[in-house]
Amino acid sequence: MIIEGGIVYDPINGVLGEEMDLSIEDGRVVEKAGGSEVIDARGMLVMPGGVDAHAHIAGGKVNTGRIMRPEDGRRGTEPRTKLLRPSTGYTVPNCYAIGYRYARLGYTTAFEAATPILEARHTHEELEEIPIIDKGALTLFGNNWEVLECVRDGDLGKLAAFVAWGLLASRGYGVKVVNPGGGEAWGFGGNVKGIDDPVPSFDVTPREIIRYLMRANEALRLPHSVHLHTNNLGKPGNYETTLETLRAVEDIAASRNRQVLHVTHMQFSAYGGTGWRDFESKAPEIAGYFNRHDQFTMDMGQLIFGSATTMTADAPLEYGNARLLKAKWSNHDIELEESSGVVPIVYGRKNPINAIQWAIGLELALLTEDSWQMIMTTDHPNGGPFVNYPEVVALLMSRRKREEELATLHDLASKRTSLPSIEREMDWNEVAIVTRAGPARILGLPEKGHLGVGADGDVSIYEINPEKVDPSRDHEVVKAALARAKYTIKAGEVVVRDGEVVAVPQGSTYWVDASVPEADAARVRADLVEKFAKYYSIQMSNYMVQDAYVTRPRVVRAGVI
Amino acid sequence: MRNIVIRPRRHFRVPVEAERITPDLFAPLSIEEIRSLEVWEGNRRVALSELFDISGDEGPGRAEETQISLSGDFSRVKRVGEKMTCGRISVAGDVGMHAGNGMAAGEILVDGNAGDWLGREMRGGSIKVLGDAGDYVGAGYRGESCGMRGGEILIDGNAGDYLGEHLCGGAITVLGDVGDFPGIANRGGAIVIGGDAHLPGAEMASGTITVGGRARVLPSYQYVETVEIEGLRFKKFLGDLVEEGKGELYAASVEEGRG
Repeated sequence: MIIEGGIVYDPINGVLGEEMDLSIEDGRVVEKAGGSEVIDARGMLVMPGGVDAHAHIAGGKVNTGRIMRPEDGRRGTEPRTKLLRPSTGYTVPNCYAIGYRYARLGYTTAFEAATPILEARHTHEELEEIPIIDKGALTLFGNNWEVLECVRDGDLGKLAAFVAWGLLASRGYGVKVVNPGGGEAWGFGGNVKGIDDPVPSFDVTPREIIRYLMRANEALRLPHSVHLHTNNLGKPGNYETTLETLRAVEDIAASRNRQVLHVTHMQFSAYGGTGWRDFESKAPEIAGYFNRHDQFTMDMGQLIFGSATTMTADAPLEYGNARLLKAKWSNHDIELEESSGVVPIVYGRKNPINAIQWAIGLELALLTEDSWQMIMTTDHPNGGPFVNYPEVVALLMSRRKREEELATLHDLASKRTSLPSIEREMDWNEVAIVTRAGPARILGLPEKGHLGVGADGDVSIYEINPEKVDPSRDHEVVKAALARAKYTIKAGEVVVRDGEVVAVPQGSTYWVDASVPEADAARVRADLVEKFAKYYSIQMSNYMVQDAYVTRPRVVRAGVI
Repeated sequence: MRNIVIRPRRHFRVPVEAERITPDLFAPLSIEEIRSLEVWEGNRRVALSELFDISGDEGPGRAEETQISLSGDFSRVKRVGEKMTCGRISVAGDVGMHAGNGMAAGEILVDGNAGDWLGREMRGGSIKVLGDAGDYVGAGYRGESCGMRGGEILIDGNAGDYLGEHLCGGAITVLGDVGDFPGIANRGGAIVIGGDAHLPGAEMASGTITVGGRARVLPSYQYVETVEIEGLRFKKFLGDLVEEGKGELYAASVEEGRG
């Protein structure tokens, strides 16, 4: 396949809006392809396929959201066609809709953000049903008893061996940490209030859990860094906890050419104020810190007005949400591993808190000077569904659009944030970084997020001429073009044409196989035999994700030996 | 007023999804165009004329001045009058489930009985049923926090369970008896029941329920006083206390068994 004459943005290879041809053969970008298939992309924007590094798209809590929200299911229903299966849902779409909608946006890769090992089979069952895109799942470790015991005993070798085993058991891709220690404390009705608040029964602190897991992550040379959901997330004044957490790990070095820590959906962790009355943005403080510390990265967690479904392993947060909103809610105890919760929410333009939250996400993205430290996300579906990504890009590219939006919001969005004074407007290169190149690099996917020779043949082509359209003024044009890719090409196959899905190949699933010294692995096995005998509700033989659950694996090797 | 008459051509063994039978959709169309509108019968998409005889005044006309007269057994014809915003539908006989779904204005009159989910998520207008109605009159869609928000439903006969579930506004009057849990999870609106009711107002946050007959009252309702309404004496309760609710429940007579 040859893609002819497009205006290409490929930041990793330093291509900044050059008119050039691309060749794809056998699913990969090549110097020159044979064959007769030619795609005419003249006058169109061409970028690598989009990469979503953080979205809740598969597994137990996503399905709990679907079960809890039949009223969401009826929004966004699309009947089956000869090619497509039926779609349902807006904030919690069915598996098919997730694949189709990502593809229509020009996205070709998405990672599920939080899977307890115990529920990983369910996650993979759903990932297998998501068509078109490549996938992966981050595995939860921050409240796991084995982790807490290794941290308590100061046994880094055993911890690394357990992380490797956990990734294998869950067929997971990376280390996700959610409210470390808090999820365990919640099993007994408590929470941790800061990074030095001890976890009941284990005598460890969130600071120690984060540090040890980061050290284990780097000892294993995993492709992705630790992916952290901070303590006190969602609470006024939590930016201090966030900064304290980052300062606590400044001395840890990355084992690979990437960040040492990714702090996710930062919008929810950049709050000032002593309560909801004096709630305000501390995004400038957070972004300023990131501007001085390039070893850290974050994603936005941008809020989208309207319906959302919050879902997280941070169960005490969800219980608080449910009480505050008087909304329906779900809480789960994931045995020795985590807790979790789901609460639907409607974000309102005239709600002062929501309006400020909306502004904080944009402030973070625009005040962080190096776009490589920032990923555009909505923490789907916590901040809002991923189908709204074109809206977020339009906001990042147009100060005029931000002003138009601010005029419709509660006026505290202008008074308690710095957004009105921010002049920066991202260009297409920066957009390509925060939606493709950056997330691919941050996840550690060398074949994604760029169009160099050897890269996966994942390309998105949009019917917008970056040389003619002024995104600042014509933000509606930008949004409309990004919402319906002219072409989405997945592994060299056209999957979307004129905004419609035209082919439904099955993508692959990434997971990381990390090797560890046998002595450490044996000590972990001995612990696990005891834990399954004493505490787990199921046998270990029914616990591991077997190969049958991951039919198209893409295994990344890592480890200490 | 332009009158359009619809009669079933045969007995329906499976439900017909007839959300297209509304004054809004019919008004701009000629009779021939109405005949060619498509609906689903079970899993088959068919022209309206395949299922029904359609006759009446030739169009087009204004929706406000459109009357649709359904004559015959429509008990398996669902979603009649869905989302209508004006005009009138009269049913000489029974009508199936989901009649008047989400209607905003206009009028539906049913001579016979109505099926379940009558006036689900209704916003305005009026529905009158001379016979009985099924379960979930004026209720919400599954999972939705609001059912009916406005308008008026009057049922001369009895109604089934979960009458006015998640009611947020408007008024429902049933002259006969109702089943279990009328007004469950209400957040406004008014329900008047002429006959008996079982466990009214469970999880009610606000709104009023008046039971002219006997009511089995939940133990989470607090008795306040006896009041006189239009010459009749009612026991007034507040609840549902498990939801810190401020709903008002009036019952002419309270069934034994309350603690």
